[in-house]
Amino acid sequence: MIKKFDKKDEESGSGSNPFRHLEKSAVLQEARIFNETPINPRRCLHILTKILYLLNQGEHFGTTEATEAFFAMTRLFQSNDQTLRRMCYLTIKEMATISEDVIIVTSSLTKDMTGKEDVYRGPAIRALCRITDGTMLQAIERYMKQAIVDKVSSVSSSALVSSLHMMKISYDVVKRWVNEAQEAASSDNIMVQYHALGVLYHLKKSDRLAVSKMLNKFTKSGLKSQFAYCMLIRIASRLLKENEEGHESPVFDFIESCLRNKHEMVIYEAASAIIHLPNCTARELAPAVSVLQLFCSSPKPALRYAAVRTLNK
Amino acid sequence: MEALILEPSLYTVKAILILDNDGDRLFAKYYDDTYPSVKEQKAFEKNIFNKTHRTDSEIALLEGLTVVYKSSIDLYFYVIGSSYENELMLMAVLNCLFDSLSQMLRKNVEKRALLENMEGLFLAVDEIVDGGVILESDPQQVVHRVALRGEDVPLTEQTVSQVYLFSLHPPSGLEFFWNFPN
Repeated sequence: MIKKFDKKDEESGSGSNPFRHLEKSAVLQEARIFNETPINPRRCLHILTKILYLLNQGEHFGTTEATEAFFAMTRLFQSNDQTLRRMCYLTIKEMATISEDVIIVTSSLTKDMTGKEDVYRGPAIRALCRITDGTMLQAIERYMKQAIVDKVSSVSSSALVSSLHMMKISYDVVKRWVNEAQEAASSDNIMVQYHALGVLYHLKKSDRLAVSKMLNKFTKSGLKSQFAYCMLIRIASRLLKENEEGHESPVFDFIESCLRNKHEMVIYEAASAIIHLPNCTARELAPAVSVLQLFCSSPKPALRYAAVRTLNK
Repeated sequence: MEALILEPSLYTVKAILILDNDGDRLFAKYYDDTYPSVKEQKAFEKNIFNKTHRTDSEIALLEGLTVVYKSSIDLYFYVIGSSYENELMLMAVLNCLFDSLSQMLRKNVEKRALLENMEGLFLAVDEIVDGGVILESDPQQVVHRVALRGEDVPLTEQTVSQVYLFSLHPPSGLEFFWNFPN
């Protein structure tokens, strides 16, 4: 009966809400077709979308029903439909904490992360790291290190961001990947640069000298990524505050030079950093203030807002 | 005001929300425990909706958080960060999300079209922010990675939108070749 209703919705094309009056038990009942062969990708995709929609709305799933749905979903790995596979990864992530025995998908995910389909590799890595514990992480360590230095930027980014998350679970293992992260930092891709820098900082942050060296290296070599620059500025200003260095240091010069960066995001970050530094002389503050004043008359509301807020401090 | 020692971190996004004309949740992803229960989340959503849906500005400070937002027809998009976050960075996330969806929905960024493409939305957000870390900022990359394609389906059976998306953004890799008959 539910099937007929759905079909009518799709066919009528009158634009009725496919998610109105969704009922969890009905959807989970529908999910039983995941066990059928051959797999009908479009039908299964639609049901999976409904499950994710319900979860997203805050619907509560009990452990038993979540586990049942999860196991049924694993059958869908038999299909080569790309969208369906991607939605499976998402389902794994969303159900990681409410279903039992999620680690059964580990081998499928490991296969996808090292496979030929680039479009799977990044998302598979991120799904895998959502279900991995410390022991498992050591088992996939080799693949993670390879992925971090992979030429495909989405793979590298996924591995780096996942490494960051994994530090909370197994810091000691991730610490061993510092060389790979270092290599990734020289990537041309602006997001990979940002992620690599972030991972390196999080690995080294307890060692002030190491951070200082890292900062020195990156400010000299120059990065392209505006996101990485913002991160560097924050690292630099933290260093200045911790060391209570005078503002004649090259670290301060670096922040000041960012006022002339071509990205507004970076200019703003630099100006904001300078304003927040304790014991700034009027002369040191001046360029930051004038940049912010310029922003106050920008046509972009976000820029005006940000500038005004910062100048008020 | 005391100068704060901001801890440099890749974790910059607290939440991404999409609400409808009535302030009801169409999509919500919370990346930390700022609002741990669904009840608190929905209360927050109601609050920011009430404070933002009548104004035109793109940015506000609400409940101690930076909220950047954008509306289109009958949808309201929000990216939330801490009050210490770089507002322009949060705007970059918002713009990436909006522009990606705009391409995927063929400029029809409205509720009905979105509901008919929920899987696209889920996948797009997954490519933009991961666990609170900005993963990608270029909408072209996001659209490319989400590329809603099925198995090797003959051209005649593909939906118009699939073919259209493909012709707009041909992937540079091998995937381009198997999807078109020779």
